Amino acid sequence: MVGTPLDVLPYIRGVQLILIGYNGYTKGSRLENDKIVREEISRATTRVRSHMQNVFDLQFKEGNIDIARAAKKSMEECDYLIEDVDKAVSGMEHAFLSGQRSPSNKDLKKLIKHDHDVIEMVTKAVNLANSSEHSIATGEGNPKQIIMQTTQMVSSCRGFFGARATVLAGLRQKKVKK
Amino acid sequence: MSDFRWRDSPDTIARLVNANDIQTFSKQQVMLKPNEACAMIVDGRIGDILTETLLKSMAGGFSRWIGDKVGVTANDRRLLFAMTGPMDYWIPFEGQLADGEKAKGFANLRLRMNLEDVPKLLNYFANNAPVLNRDGLISIIASEVNARVVTPCLASCKSAADLRDASFLERFEMTAESEMRNLLSNLGFTLLKAFPITNPTDMELVQSHRAAVQAKTAGTEVNVEAQLAHYAQTEALTIARIELETNVARAQARGQVTVELEAELKDVRAKEALWEVERNHERGQMELRVDEADAKTKRAMDMFAQVQERKANRVANQQNFQNQRMENQNDFQTKMMEMAADNGALTPEVMQEFLKQQTAQKAVDGSGGESTRNSPKMCSCGTALMPGWKACPTCGTPIV
Repeated sequence: MVGTPLDVLPYIRGVQLILIGYNGYTKGSRLENDKIVREEISRATTRVRSHMQNVFDLQFKEGNIDIARAAKKSMEECDYLIEDVDKAVSGMEHAFLSGQRSPSNKDLKKLIKHDHDVIEMVTKAVNLANSSEHSIATGEGNPKQIIMQTTQMVSSCRGFFGARATVLAGLRQKKVKK
Repeated sequence: MSDFRWRDSPDTIARLVNANDIQTFSKQQVMLKPNEACAMIVDGRIGDILTETLLKSMAGGFSRWIGDKVGVTANDRRLLFAMTGPMDYWIPFEGQLADGEKAKGFANLRLRMNLEDVPKLLNYFANNAPVLNRDGLISIIASEVNARVVTPCLASCKSAADLRDASFLERFEMTAESEMRNLLSNLGFTLLKAFPITNPTDMELVQSHRAAVQAKTAGTEVNVEAQLAHYAQTEALTIARIELETNVARAQARGQVTVELEAELKDVRAKEALWEVERNHERGQMELRVDEADAKTKRAMDMFAQVQERKANRVANQQNFQNQRMENQNDFQTKMMEMAADNGALTPEVMQEFLKQQTAQKAVDGSGGESTRNSPKMCSCGTALMPGWKACPTCGTPIV
């Protein structure tokens, strides 16, 4: 068993600002850490969806189908991300019995950094969604552009979160000693 | 420890379980999959919402029974199980288009439940049976879907063709998203997708029938055309085959004729060659004969020329002799006349006699040997005959 790498401590601290209870995949809490990270991503995405929902409702009622369509697309993208996160792989609890190899320092660093980056990205998406709603409310800026940026950010987040599966996939096979 | 099954049918969406009702000797446990959630409601308060876990000792068991009896456990423990994954709900509808045509079909709503929304199902279970299945949810939302989504959307369609338009689907989904939020949100559901599936309307069926008939007619036409084309093809093929056979037969006949002709030609060539040889032979012989005749003619001509030459020479010699003789005679007579003149004997009688003799002499010399032969003959009728005449012009007697 390896300890938490020191050079990822800043990332852990960053995640801990948002997620209380996150400890960087220490022994015995890896599944728990994985779960709270995914729940946070899902929760933040739901926030994005809520903002887009508000934009959609308003614009659809007012007959601004262009913006409503963009908002609907953004909502759909949020749904996809939530579904991806909910049904994502989380690794196994008993590595020895499952056939997985134990995670190395390198794997943990990758996972922690990845968590940090995904949460940062989804937070940006929340901010953008908030800005789009604000833009519509105040009439400042181009709301459609901001909505599309939000969609793009959520979509990127979805793709980036998918990379987590490749990190975990590396744990699935024990290394065979020659 | 025995497994508790909260879901015994694919149509089950949620179930509210009163843990106090589960009185079993062994403890009950339940496995919550990623698309299942369990909200714990303890003593009227919503507790944890669990998913992706093995919920051990959720109910039953001797220790819990003892606890209940002693009063150290909660008085009311309810477990609200729900499916969180997307599920499709088919809501039948019947409406009217703007032109009065009826439209029937189904509205498909794809709903999902967020983890934190699971307790909202208590709104449903407050007035309904503790099991929520598809039909139950459809019965709740169907009327509102029809009233808020289907009817307005159908009313905006001028004809059945608009039902098939992509903009209709988009408008339907957006309307459902906007109008159904209140109800779905109260129940804890999130609308992911909505789309209508309309059955063919009466007019569409008529059009479909018309299209089918037209297609059948067109198909028959195509079949007829294909059959005709097939016949034409067969005809062309047969003609081509016949032509081919004829050509082959003709070629064979021509070849046979050619062979025969070649054989005949060969015979003719042989005969020609033979004839050529014979003709050359005859020509050679004829040339030989002609040469021989020419040689004879030439020899005759040469001999005739020699005769003529000799004759000319003889005539010339004869002429020369006569001329010489006449000159000699003239000289003699001249000398005689001179002698007579010298002697004074030249008298007129002498001169006359001299001229007479000279004339006679000249007559003899001038006619020569032929004078007697060229003298005109006399016919028995008294007509004088000229040399060269074949018969007497007076009496017609042939001249021998």
